[in-house]
Amino acid sequence: MNDNRPQRPAFLKPGTRDPEPGTWKPLIPQPARVPQVHLFQAGGKPHLLVADGTRVFGVDREVFERLDQASSRGDRAEVKRLLQQFGLDAPPFVTDAPPESFPVRALSLAVAQKCNLGCTYCYAQEGDFGGTARNMPLEIARQSVQRLFEEAAPGERVQLAFLGGEPLVNRPVLREATHHAVALGREAGVDVGFSITTNGTLLTSEDGEFFERHGFAVTVSLDGVAEAHDRLRPFKDGRGSFEHILRRVRPLLKMQKRMQVSARVTVTPRNLLLRPALDGLIELGFHSVGFSPMLSSPSGCGQMQPEDLQAMLRQMIDCANECERRTAAGERYPFANLLTALQEIHRGTHRPYPCGAGGGYLGVSAQGDLFACHRFVDDQSGAMGNLREGLDRHSQAQWLARRHVHRQEPCRSCWARYLCGGGCHHEVIHRGRPACDYIRGWLDHCLKAYVRLLDRRPELFSSLRPSSPVFSAPSAVQSRPAP
Amino acid sequence: MNKIEPKNVSAQLTYRARGNPPSTLPVAAISNCFPGLEFDFRNIWRRIFVGLVMHEARPQVVEVEEEAPDEFQTLVGELLVSVDGEQLWVPVTGPEAAGGPVQSLGFSNLEWANALANILQKAGEQVQCVFFDPDSRQATEVLLQVRRVFDEEGTPVGESGVLARDLAQPGELTQSLCSPWQNDYRECACYYWAASRPDFVNSETDAGGQTAGHNWLHKDRTPDTPKFYSLRQSDMVSYEDLFRNWEQLRFVIGGKDEE
Ligand code: SF4
Ligand code: SF4
Repeated sequence: MNDNRPQRPAFLKPGTRDPEPGTWKPLIPQPARVPQVHLFQAGGKPHLLVADGTRVFGVDREVFERLDQASSRGDRAEVKRLLQQFGLDAPPFVTDAPPESFPVRALSLAVAQKCNLGCTYCYAQEGDFGGTARNMPLEIARQSVQRLFEEAAPGERVQLAFLGGEPLVNRPVLREATHHAVALGREAGVDVGFSITTNGTLLTSEDGEFFERHGFAVTVSLDGVAEAHDRLRPFKDGRGSFEHILRRVRPLLKMQKRMQVSARVTVTPRNLLLRPALDGLIELGFHSVGFSPMLSSPSGCGQMQPEDLQAMLRQMIDCANECERRTAAGERYPFANLLTALQEIHRGTHRPYPCGAGGGYLGVSAQGDLFACHRFVDDQSGAMGNLREGLDRHSQAQWLARRHVHRQEPCRSCWARYLCGGGCHHEVIHRGRPACDYIRGWLDHCLKAYVRLLDRRPELFSSLRPSSPVFSAPSAVQSRPAP
Repeated sequence: MNKIEPKNVSAQLTYRARGNPPSTLPVAAISNCFPGLEFDFRNIWRRIFVGLVMHEARPQVVEVEEEAPDEFQTLVGELLVSVDGEQLWVPVTGPEAAGGPVQSLGFSNLEWANALANILQKAGEQVQCVFFDPDSRQATEVLLQVRRVFDEEGTPVGESGVLARDLAQPGELTQSLCSPWQNDYRECACYYWAASRPDFVNSETDAGGQTAGHNWLHKDRTPDTPKFYSLRQSDMVSYEDLFRNWEQLRFVIGGKDEE
């Protein structure tokens, strides 16, 4: 037997539901051969991704083969020369220089650093980030909202996110902060978008009405349907939470007009069957459903290992194929990961960072300290000052310089770097980069799906119409790892 | 030629087809303001006859295509005076100055699109062409094949909007575009280039509603230069000035010379 063959994951016992029965073989790894290009076949034709600027081209056999030969030798100079020869070179889209400063455009408030669930893998360590459970005082929430409007000019848009712990534990402050933001927004002529990430257990229909009124993007953390969810997200006393949550979420699903209620599934080795989760949650009426692998948990518990990621990739591709099929047929099948990727690939999104953390986006702790994002709350590696004394510009500049994808290894030599951005800072700092083959495998699939869909249904991409299923995907920032 | 098809938006925005100058990228092209000016349409006439390369505006042979028979070489520099019995050069009559007597004003060529309208129906056929050598004043008759303008493969006749591949070599369609260092930039009086150049600058309107200002081509003007629209050649930037030193053009912001 070939020793390189990944082990069949333990959960896929013979006779249990295998994603592709009888076809278990390692997925072709997506090695980072040269940093400039990635070559792929889609719809039976050769294609090329030029990493810089995320530019996708259909090419002929000769272009494909010559680039392929040069890149399999790892010959960067020859790849560069060929790109010039074929007129595919361009001035660099992303330079080494980090942005000097960022106006703050989004804040997340850890309104409650406590939680009523006991998820074993939670980054917030059951809500309190490893410290004392606490609620954010109203004054801190108000100051945060004020801070958000400080750098916003009329006509611009800012985002206010509520996270925790479980933010609904501190409902009065959440509501007050929302009202304050609405008032300030009106005064300043600045548009405000609201979002909340919740475990759903405390939702009421009054919450639904409130969120609907203010056009919230509501993300409910669910780890599957029924037992799959209950295994991972029990109440602290061990009872399953799915049925309970569903009772509370259902009225909101019905109310969705301005509000969008999405499901976010954190994937661990114990809930690797994604397709049933996706179908089940879409059927329940969620606006979109997304998955993110658990790469780093404070206890190490539930973290995905390489073979789990391989299994997850197969499942993601299975979901993506279904999504591609349904989208091509004009049906709505809101698999957020694929739709977001298609949208980004179509635009040619190229980012030197994985997300806005530490740049235009900051997290505020219950005590009013500022951090790179919601996940870094009370974590010194992402500390950036506090509301009283202001954003620590020096720490921010250092962060932006250090976290730039050109400064990351092995990202600087990876073709996926401007689509991936180098991976969630929190996971990278705390665990490293165990998921690169998964990320590249996924992006490779998304590129192929993009080209196929573009050929079959170009009108889906012809404008950024919100009615197009491709472009009603949630924004990229929401598709990053689950809080 | 290699086939490369930009697929996504960033690829389309940055892909420069082989031979095209940088000014054809959407970010730089004049078509950014005026869609349709991505290329100079007159260039489609240059290779309308198989074997010859004509001037884009005048019926004159500029060079000979590589695969053409050797005897075509002698046609370089000659004028094409008639095609398939249709005259391309016509006598011009009229007054030389306003109110003057009607007289013969010599010959002038018809604009290509008008002159060849009928010939286009004969794409693929041989037509009789008469050339005239202005030096020896000799005429030569040659049979030439008319090229197809549109690539109609797979489309109903008359419905293709795709120019035939052999009608222009890479880069040719974008030559002679309206850039500051090209004739049209100074010449064009149709206000078509309004986004890229002004016509009337530093204008002021007095209490009586009279407007005065400078010709945009007025040389060495200062705020003190008397405000009248001069058309005197000696006051104006010449073609040659533009070709050699187009940078001397001033920035005009909000209708006024930048200080
Ligand atoms: S983290 Fe992303 S950019 Fe970096 S090496 Fe891995 S896949 Fe490539
Ligand atoms: S991707 Fe990671 S670092 Fe970025 S905002 Fe999300 S959790 Fe924070």
